[in-house]
Formats: sequence, C-alpha cells, structure tokens
Amino acid sequence: MKRSLLLITLMLVSVSAMFCQSKLTIMDKSPMDVCYYPCNFPILKIQDKVTEPLAARIVYSRPQKNGRMVFGELVEYGEIWRLGANEATEIELFKDATVEGSKLKKGRYTMYAVPFEEKWTIIFNKETDIWGAFHYDQTKDVLRVEITPEKLEEPAEAFTMMFEKITGGANLVIAWDDVVANIVFNF
Amino acid sequence: MLTANKGLIFYLLAMLVTLYSCKSKETGASVQSIQRIPASHPKNEEMTVSGVDKSPMDMSYYPVDYPVLKMTGKTTEPPIARLIYSRPFKDGRAIFGGLIKYGSHWRLGANEASEIEFFVPVKITGKIIKKGRYIIYCIPYEDKWTIILNGDLFTWGLKINASKDIYSFEIPVNKVQHVYEALTMEFEKTAEGMQLTIAWDNSQAALPIMF
Repeated sequence: MKRSLLLITLMLVSVSAMFCQSKLTIMDKSPMDVCYYPCNFPILKIQDKVTEPLAARIVYSRPQKNGRMVFGELVEYGEIWRLGANEATEIELFKDATVEGSKLKKGRYTMYAVPFEEKWTIIFNKETDIWGAFHYDQTKDVLRVEITPEKLEEPAEAFTMMFEKITGGANLVIAWDDVVANIVFNF
Repeated sequence: MLTANKGLIFYLLAMLVTLYSCKSKETGASVQSIQRIPASHPKNEEMTVSGVDKSPMDMSYYPVDYPVLKMTGKTTEPPIARLIYSRPFKDGRAIFGGLIKYGSHWRLGANEASEIEFFVPVKITGKIIKKGRYIIYCIPYEDKWTIILNGDLFTWGLKINASKDIYSFEIPVNKVQHVYEALTMEFEKTAEGMQLTIAWDNSQAALPIMF
C-alpha cells in the first residue's frame, strides 16, 4: 500500500511537471476572460444567430479558490474587493441600462464590491485602465447598488462572472467558492 | 505489485477522464455545473459556469504596464494603445506553415478576435490610423506578414469578414532562437515611438507604431 501511494505521488509529480513544462512564457496565474450580453455574442455573430445588439461586455481576470477559504478570509468582509485579479474588472455598456433599478449610462466603468456576509455593495467607477482596487478612488464612483448573496451547493473553483438571460434583461451572475450573487440589468 | 499496477492504471484513467471529459468544443474550457441552494433561491436551477480557457486571454498596454503605473501614480503620458487577445500554446506543434497555413487568415490569437484600441490617432508604416477600436489579424508568409485592422468588432476569430478591412501593413518576419510556447503580443517602447511585438514558436515580427 505504501509503495502504491509512493507511485501515485510520483505520478502526480510527473503529471504536474508535464503541465509546467509547456509554460515557458509567463502566463497569468489568474487568466483574463470575457463575458457578454447577449451571452456568447461573438459566437452568435459568426453563426448569424444574433437577434439583438451587443448590450454589455465584461473583461475580468479569474483567480482560483485553490483550497483557500474565500469569503471572510481571502476576501475580507467590509473591505473593497476588486471582483477579479490583475487589471481592474471592466464593464462596458453599449446602451443605457438600469442596474438594480438605478440608471447607468452607456460607457466603460470599472467594477468593485464591498462584500459582507449578508449583503454586497457593488460599485461602478469611472476610472478605467487601472490595476486592481489598490488605488480605488471613491470620488469617481458613478453608481453603488446593494445585492444579497446566496449560497452555492458546489463551490466554484474559478471566480466567475457571466450574464444569464431573464425576462426584460439579464442577471449578471458573480460566483466564487460557495457564494453566488446576481445583479439585475435591464437594457 | 499487480494490485499497485491496477490501482495506478485506474488512477491514470480517472485523471485522463477528469482532464478531458468536460471540455467545451469552442473554447476548450472545462465546465463546472453549480447548483444554487434551493432554500435561498426560488428555483432549484442548475447553471453552468465555464472553467478557465485553454487559451487564456491577456492584455497589453502602451505605455507598458499602464494600469500599474496609474495605480502607483507614475504615469508620465496618457494611454496610447490597448490590446486584448487570447494566447494559444505551441504544444509540440509546428506553427508557421503547419498549424497556420501561409497565405491564409490567421486570427493572431484564439477564441474572440483579437482587439486593438488606439486612444489617440497613430501612424503605422506611414498611414494615419484613426483613434478607436479594431480587430487585428494577420496573413502570414514565410518572409513577411500582412497585418490587418478590421472594423468587425466583437466577433469570434475563426471567421474574418475581410469586407470590413480598414488598414493593412506589410512587415518582415524573423526566425529567432527562442521558442515562444505561448503566442505573445506586447507593446514595447522604441526610439521612434513603440512597436507591437508578435512572437510565437520561433517567429517574431514587429509592427512599428508612431504617435
């Protein structure tokens, strides 16, 4: 048994070495990703399946849970949280929208949150092309909305932002670890 | 020993299944189903979140590392350009003349078409480029590349609509000693302005940009 455990460990090490080997050039630990509303807009576009114009795009980076306790520890309650990694998360609205009942004009914004266990404040700020929330400037806020997070049964390994179609608009779903939150957008 | 071998084979199979079973066709990303806890949500609905892309997205700015400079209060000039692209891996394949055929459209990336944005008008190989956003792609040949800026924004890189081409430039391409495992595109400062360096496998080219 000891011997097979050792073999398995060796296997694991060699498998991970295989993966590392292919990464000579520096890649981000928390890779960037993008989401759209309508969902998968670029794919719909090349398939000629677009039925409504592009309303929103989010460019964000995706940290991994990686065995860590996220909310209340890695992401501290009551502190500004960058909703991503690396470059500040950017949302672009291609038309005016209503976010949780408040108007938000078309344009580009950075997004942040102040999470608590029972509620999150979501922030839209006009200082774009900046890194993280380390230099967050509240005077450049455009809108703050409050939402209620919920629990997830299966934890999400990678920090995820995605739009989900609902009647008259979209939910922006934000999921990480065992928490999910929705922001309602009407376009 | 036999038991140990069986155990290993089973373990390896399980690894392989985990690694390859749930890749989405388009992005190669793994997907994970997550379920909201019913008590706190009206519907016991399941949604699928995508895992991290096989060819992850990245971003490059000029001035180099502009967001970090901005955060630390060290900017000395306004932002000139920003590039958003995805980074495929060589992964043991011959890239130029192999995976990418000479004379064909190459998306300079993966997944979404690569997007370049100029925050000010710039000059490339003598042509004046209006400020704004473009998708950028390439037609590679053995000794030169044609780089094209196209107005068909927010599209997937596999299908280029050449009728929306706006500018094109020819640049030389060089073989280099270093093998770039991941497609790498970066703005770099030069004596005359800057350049967009494009490197993958053992090929490297530079698009000179004046502003």
